[in-house]
Amino acid sequence: MTEHEERRVRKTLAWLDMAGRKAGTWAFLLNRLTGLGLLLYLLLHLGVLSLLAMGEMQWDAFIALARSPLFLVLDVVLIFGILYHGLNGIRVALVGMGIGVRWQKGIFWTLMGLGVLLLAITGWLVFTM
Amino acid sequence: MKQEMSDPVMAFDGNELWTIHYRVFRYKRSSGKPHYDKFNVEIAPHETVLDGLEKIWAFQDRSLTFRHACHHASCGSCGIRVNGVEKLPCIVPIREVTRDGGTVLCEPLRNFPLVSDLVVDLGQFYRRLEEAHFQIIRSSEPIERDEHESSNVHTRFENCIECGLCVSACPVSGTDGLYFGPAALAASWRMIQEPRGVDPLSVRSNADQEHGCWRCHVAFECSEVCPSNVDPAAAIMALRQDLLKRKLLRLFQRGDHDRA
Amino acid sequence: MAEKAVQSHHVVVIGAGSTGVAVAHDLALRGFAVTVVERGAIASGTTGRNHCLLHSGARYCMSDPVSAQECAQENDVLRSIMPHAMELNGGLFVALTEEHRAYKSRFQEACQTCGIDAPWLTPEQVLALEPHVHPDNLGAFHVPDGVFDPLRFCLSFLATARRNGADVFPFTRVDELIQRGSAVEGVKVSDLHTNRVRRIEADLVVNAAGPWAGEISAMAGLMLPMDPTPGVMVSMRGRYCQRVINRLGMPSDGDIVVPQRETSILGTTSWSVPRADTIPIPEEHVALLLERGRALIPALAESEPQGIFTVARPLIHEMVKDTRQVSRGFECFDHAAEGVQGLVTIVGGKTSTSRAMAETTADLVCSKLGIQAPCRTRETRLESYRAFYYT
Ligand SMILES: Cc1cc2nc3c(=O)[nH]c(=O)nc-3n(C[C@H](O)[C@H](O)[C@H](O)COP(=O)(O)OP(=O)(O)OC[C@H]3O[C@@H](n4cnc5c(N)ncnc54)[C@H](O)[C@@H]3O)c2cc1C
Ligand code: SF4
Ligand code: FES
Repeated sequence: MTEHEERRVRKTLAWLDMAGRKAGTWAFLLNRLTGLGLLLYLLLHLGVLSLLAMGEMQWDAFIALARSPLFLVLDVVLIFGILYHGLNGIRVALVGMGIGVRWQKGIFWTLMGLGVLLLAITGWLVFTM
Repeated sequence: MKQEMSDPVMAFDGNELWTIHYRVFRYKRSSGKPHYDKFNVEIAPHETVLDGLEKIWAFQDRSLTFRHACHHASCGSCGIRVNGVEKLPCIVPIREVTRDGGTVLCEPLRNFPLVSDLVVDLGQFYRRLEEAHFQIIRSSEPIERDEHESSNVHTRFENCIECGLCVSACPVSGTDGLYFGPAALAASWRMIQEPRGVDPLSVRSNADQEHGCWRCHVAFECSEVCPSNVDPAAAIMALRQDLLKRKLLRLFQRGDHDRA
Repeated sequence: MAEKAVQSHHVVVIGAGSTGVAVAHDLALRGFAVTVVERGAIASGTTGRNHCLLHSGARYCMSDPVSAQECAQENDVLRSIMPHAMELNGGLFVALTEEHRAYKSRFQEACQTCGIDAPWLTPEQVLALEPHVHPDNLGAFHVPDGVFDPLRFCLSFLATARRNGADVFPFTRVDELIQRGSAVEGVKVSDLHTNRVRRIEADLVVNAAGPWAGEISAMAGLMLPMDPTPGVMVSMRGRYCQRVINRLGMPSDGDIVVPQRETSILGTTSWSVPRADTIPIPEEHVALLLERGRALIPALAESEPQGIFTVARPLIHEMVKDTRQVSRGFECFDHAAEGVQGLVTIVGGKTSTSRAMAETTADLVCSKLGIQAPCRTRETRLESYRAFYYT
């Protein structure tokens, strides 16, 4: 490995360096991961929509798959991602504009509490409907 | 006046000596790979992690390199990671991080180029503080007590001791080497609050860059580890708010057309 | 012999405490090629851990007027060359008891003799300036004490020396002196960043190793018995005064509170130890400092220590001192007198007087090497301490 590459690797690994760190870095890491996840989902979603263009058979097959329990679990993961990214985003945006800096920890945990609640409700809906 | 001689803050635990296993990060330029060395140190629980390092240096390995000067959290040179967390070992008593027979892990700060053992290169860090025009002599708020003081303003050192703990703890500094980092941004905010003859506009425009205050991701780790009441995260947010306000104001004024 | 230009004379300075860095700066400014070697970090010896007091001289005006005068002069110089690393708020010499107040006229006269401006303040004036000083105080003298940051003090000198061409090598330990016959011609050092050994040749070596100066001179077979005399300091969390608060009287244990940043540093004591590394701190010294500190500033009782530390004054054994007939705050030896050429030792003194110590040392270096170059450190403003790290 050249020195330059080595530095690259180190920098990328620094993403995951959690030693000695507190909630703030977890929040940041999770934000990055959910962000990437959502991006991936968006691409998949577009792919799936293009199935429509291929005809009814493919679409029905997909809908059947989408009703399987595994897929429902994935739905909940997706909802988690949306909720986390969105709610943490609210904190980052507020605090980043200098609003509520002093209470940022409280804001974070309140939003997370709200997130858990919403996740529970939507999860319940996903599996019962 | 009555003296309380049995003061608990004295923090001495008689003659008790603990045996502590220090695991110390080692690296010497051009001689092998980084590794960890183990040292057993006899030390009183009220003594500090830095006292232990000094004992290792004095009695076991004279080639151990680490920085220190003031031994009371004022010079900012001793910063390392103790059990993974950024600390000034000169003010961390042994008993705060381990117990008798326990282990203390000592590693250099993250996000700085490594020089040897526990020593990192602070050149870039100090340059950024200089670029923020940070002057460490400020005028203090008067000590609160009575009305005479309004005229009683003094010079004093800034709270920031330029230790670099915040940069080591910052996840953004880890992935973006160009990021100014918490200390330099907090310094910029101080210079805007109290310019001391420096032009605040140049401080603002320096901070108002991609790798400046907008790069922060609000992890607040800097303020978690800062040993000196600086609260750099809050300073970065204040800086952003200040810049944002000015940008908005300029936008409206441009709409008005009457002010240049 | 043709006269060599000053730049072609290479001087190695051992030790980057306040003494060594000031010597390096002075020599570099006079045009010498200078190399500083320090076994640890900058200011990791005595200097970094001292009490941070920029002496006005008042502390010694009654006990040692020569030192006091020197402090008073150096105080003025340092203020003007290094304002960026100092809190300059003055100091008070407070009388708490009638016994202290009995010193009033003697102190006043002594200050006058030494050229120290010291107006007397009534108890009300004292409390107006420093509300946390003991409310029952009997008045105080106001003196031009200050506070410095020892690390930044040293870095400022070194940054300037570097700008003038000096090389500075921290973490570089002197293991041996290179000698031809008995003459010293350089140093053999270990670079602790690489664990490699190398030789640095020099026309002259200045030993500024503080309490370890005896170890260096012993390498040349010289006897320089040091008497490491430590003092304890306790740094209390929180700042309770703006000025340095001294107790009026003869210098003694636990009679100063030095405010610095967000702390108040109580000091100091004095005893004797066999070696200057890792000195154990006697518990009773800490108790004494806390007690005496609270007598000056009762509010310190609410605070707690955040750092307790000690270092040794680099004093020469009294017996040797007498035989050498030097009685000043510091001592500068030309070891040629003992038959060893090329080695000069500078010990003692204070951080506050390091510039003057350096001037004396550099004058001696000049005369030994046959150079004529005037001292210019009095009027040369020092670089920002940060420049040391990024140049
Ligand atoms: C308790 C106490 C309080 C004090 N308070 C004040 C104060 O408030 N104000 C004031 O002005 N003065 C004060 N002083 C005095 C002042 O601190 C000292 O006089 C001064 O720091 C001495 O500086 P130095 O450079 O001679 O020694 P040091 O600072 O000890 O420097 C010597 C250096 O040489 C290095 N060294 C040793 N051996 C080797 C080797 N083999 N190779 C390379 N390098 C080596 C050491 O690491 C060290 O850094 C105080 C002193 C004490 C003890
Ligand atoms: S902001 Fe705090 S942590 Fe960062 S350098 Fe300054 S004192 Fe150290
Ligand atoms: S030694 Fe100065 S901050 Fe720890």
